[in-house]
Amino acid sequence: MNRRDFLQSASAAALASTTIARAATPAVKPVRLGIIGAGSRGQEDLRQFLRVPGVSVEAICDIYPPRYEQVNRIAGKQVPATANHHELLARTDLDAILIASPVGLHAEHVIATAKTGRPIYGEKALGFTVEDNHNILAEVTRHKVLFQIGHEYRYAAWAQEAIRRVHAGDIGTPTHIYAYWHRNGDWRRTVPQPDPGGKLEHLINWRLYRETSGGLGTELGSHHIDMANWVFGEQPQGVIGTNSICRYHDGRTVGDNVQAVFSYSKGRRLVFSSITDNAKLGCELWIYGTEGSVQITIEDATFYFEKKKLSNAPDDSVGKTVVERGVVTGASYSTAGEMPYRGPGEKVVTATSEDPTLAAVRSFTEAVRGEHEIFADVHCGFRAAIACSVAHDAVFEENKMAIPSAKI
Amino acid sequence: MTWSVLTYNVCDNTGKEREKAGSLAALGMTNQKYKSKSRRSLTHKLATALTMTLLATTPLAKAVTPSLTLYTTTHPAMGTEFTLYLYSADPASAAETSEEVFEEVDRIEQLLSNYRDSSELSRINQNAATSPVTTDPEMLDFLTQSGHWSRASDGAFDITVGRLMKAWGFYRHSGRIPPEGELQQLRAATGWEKVQLDPAARTVYFTSPGVELDPGGIGKGFAVDAAVRILRAQHVTAAMLSAGSSTLYALGAPPNLDGWRIVVPGPLPSHDSLSVITLRDTSLSSADCSEKNFTVAGHLYCHIMDPRTMRPVEGRTQVSIVDPSATASDALSNVIFVETPEQSVETLKKYAPEARALIVSGDAGHPHCTIFHWGVAIDSTRCPL
Repeated sequence: MNRRDFLQSASAAALASTTIARAATPAVKPVRLGIIGAGSRGQEDLRQFLRVPGVSVEAICDIYPPRYEQVNRIAGKQVPATANHHELLARTDLDAILIASPVGLHAEHVIATAKTGRPIYGEKALGFTVEDNHNILAEVTRHKVLFQIGHEYRYAAWAQEAIRRVHAGDIGTPTHIYAYWHRNGDWRRTVPQPDPGGKLEHLINWRLYRETSGGLGTELGSHHIDMANWVFGEQPQGVIGTNSICRYHDGRTVGDNVQAVFSYSKGRRLVFSSITDNAKLGCELWIYGTEGSVQITIEDATFYFEKKKLSNAPDDSVGKTVVERGVVTGASYSTAGEMPYRGPGEKVVTATSEDPTLAAVRSFTEAVRGEHEIFADVHCGFRAAIACSVAHDAVFEENKMAIPSAKI
Repeated sequence: MTWSVLTYNVCDNTGKEREKAGSLAALGMTNQKYKSKSRRSLTHKLATALTMTLLATTPLAKAVTPSLTLYTTTHPAMGTEFTLYLYSADPASAAETSEEVFEEVDRIEQLLSNYRDSSELSRINQNAATSPVTTDPEMLDFLTQSGHWSRASDGAFDITVGRLMKAWGFYRHSGRIPPEGELQQLRAATGWEKVQLDPAARTVYFTSPGVELDPGGIGKGFAVDAAVRILRAQHVTAAMLSAGSSTLYALGAPPNLDGWRIVVPGPLPSHDSLSVITLRDTSLSSADCSEKNFTVAGHLYCHIMDPRTMRPVEGRTQVSIVDPSATASDALSNVIFVETPEQSVETLKKYAPEARALIVSGDAGHPHCTIFHWGVAIDSTRCPL
């Protein structure tokens, strides 16, 4: 058999032949997945779901037909497809629903799914507007459905360990979080031509338009807001921010860069920055405490510690006049104290480095099987998304705006 | 092997010939400036990664496609530098397409990397000897194709050489000769037949502890195939994607040309042209020892392993192989590097009859060539058949 013959016959059934011994696989309860929204994020979620034993995809809903073949390729089979989410939800062969549609449609899709009683893995942000977020929280709670928000970094082993240590006091009292998601790219997807009226442009590049997208602050910042909420143990109370179009003057109506400061109680702050023309910082989040710092990235976490401020030994230089670089000053001062710490840090060691999304969907699947509760639940999703919804307006208004709490 | 200045002759919309050396409008350079930049850039590549020469081509008197311009972008991934040569109508479209192509390359790297603990391949390496690991159809397809070429080559190609590569110091370029006893121990953890796939359950299982997959002999080809699917989905008519020295794919043809002309350079030390081949909608992979090797007591140890002897291959200088599948050509470049030329011809006849191959054996001072359906002339004064 030559290569071409081989590839033509390499169906799953053909490969499950006697020439390939079958290893014993523990029996697990099947979880049949339906997907609403099969774009790039939905497809990545699907790949990860298919790495969980017992999970299969049985139906998808998307209004953009080219997605159907893309999903078939990922799933390795023909997956029934529809453009109507009610049609998908009417099926009786689905155990759980993945919702990865554009954020502006989350309320419609999540609430419709909640009414069917099925468990939901909902991509972030929970909802688009303040009202959407309140409505989703109310309906998911009312129908008592399992709901996990796609804040996958809550499931990253290194993030869990780092924040456990922060809560245990390893860096003293955490007071500030600086979060960056810096990229170098226009965030734009190729649109098939011709595209009369720009219909496909708005369908495919929905992230670039204010009426359908919270922009960088929501699509990227929601992860960091959730991490800050996790560290501080509460949602932010207010936000002030700004945005602009600095680089990509291509008709988009959300900023190609965003900066926002979120206020927490006791004067604590999250400072978020996203730019799209320089990726030096990438995606990283720094938690600053009174005795140290921790840097959390999408791959690892590293602790750094402040120099000890207090000493039992008397410091006889304090208060004396010193000479620094030939200049007589009246203060005890050394430029070394202002230089960034460049030591190696202490990398967080964990037993697993499993991909955060895989860890998240595995945990969700286990919750669907009744093995444990959901960690990143609908309340977690609400506390991040409500901040995104308000920040979405705040970065245009450039005024400080209050962030409401949940009504339930 | 060498890489010369990349120059294309194209026609403008009046049909008048003009020379261009590509452009990268995102840099805000004029063509002339870019040409200068391009030369410097390619000189750098010459010393680091690329192993084939893309030559100046002659315009043909065919229909002109005036609106297409060549854009070149590079992207570090998989331990090398990917380069996309893309004919596009405008810089914005070229940038969008390039970004999506390289996103796909990055996605495949995250799937296959044995340098990243969070990759799917690393997860399999860490767990598959303990119990079957459920994976996704794409990973299963990768493992299935790898297994196919292992079976077809009777183990000349084998992705279970992970620990063997580390033992010889090729994982992090340190280079060492492992003692015989260590090699014998590694035999228990090496061998493609120790990887069991169950497509119905989507699982992979190692029948021996210590097995470690190394995608180095096929992963870049797999990434190129995935990236080319993005180009096809966007109806790109002319592009070439190269994965460093390993694999390239020629999609369509530059305006007014029959295909992408590639010069296969001669064996070291001359680097002179050995053969010129025109590619269209097919891939070319090469293997040689010039980039990753170490020398002990005057003997050069090549990074390409013969998994059957547990030792680096001896007696092969370089190979080039053309096949419609970049995954296949990448794997086959290892197969025909490891096998004797006679064995390679038999393997290709049986399992890849549509492939075209050029094999250089011997040493740089006394090379000799073997061809399989190569179809174009080679300079036999440099490499007798």
